[in-house]
Amino acid sequence: MPATLFHRFVLTIGFLSLFHVAYSAAQHRSYLRLNELDFTHLPLDVIIQAFISLFVIMYGVMNVAGDFKEIKASAELENRFWETFKNVPSFYTFSHRGRFLNPSYSSYKGDDE
Amino acid sequence: MSSKSRNGNNRKVVAYSDLAIRNNLSVVEYCRTSMAALSGCTAGVLGLTGLYGAVFYIFAVTSLWFMILFKAGLSNWKNYFISRKALLTNGFFGQLFTYILCWTFIYGMVHVY
Repeated sequence: MPATLFHRFVLTIGFLSLFHVAYSAAQHRSYLRLNELDFTHLPLDVIIQAFISLFVIMYGVMNVAGDFKEIKASAELENRFWETFKNVPSFYTFSHRGRFLNPSYSSYKGDDE
Repeated sequence: MSSKSRNGNNRKVVAYSDLAIRNNLSVVEYCRTSMAALSGCTAGVLGLTGLYGAVFYIFAVTSLWFMILFKAGLSNWKNYFISRKALLTNGFFGQLFTYILCWTFIYGMVHVY
């Protein structure tokens, strides 16, 4: 399926979430600095949100990037028929003997002569 | 048209579409670059240092590989890619530099300043 508005929305949400995580981390860092504590690791909820937003963004990116195509050379020829290739509009002929079979054509000719 | 039997043995020769292979590889390359940049940002936000960052990179690359295989379909990925292993290892060190760039930049933004 091609990229839809939904996937772009997911991508935007993911980026906003990642930005929020970065802001939370910076805030946590300033809290530690004010209380003169040592940094060991971030709070668990921030870590979890970082992981979730990373995977949400990747889901969005993979769908926005595009679809895979089948690499077999015959993949897109399999659903075509000989009639499709045979059809050449430039070589259509309309002034052929078929018009003599039309009853109105013969009567028109008879009136003229 | 696509596959023909060689004389003598019955091994099938499959013709691949050049355009489709290139399209798939460019989609994968797009995902990989995005994944390197985004996982670098996440690692910087999380405040990883040293070998933890390298471990996180390997984790990110492997999970991207699984996501690509999942998108292609776990059973019929052979329709879209020739080799599954090359999908995992291609551009590993090339994207590592993108990862380190984003990692150090975001680490500096969030944790140092």
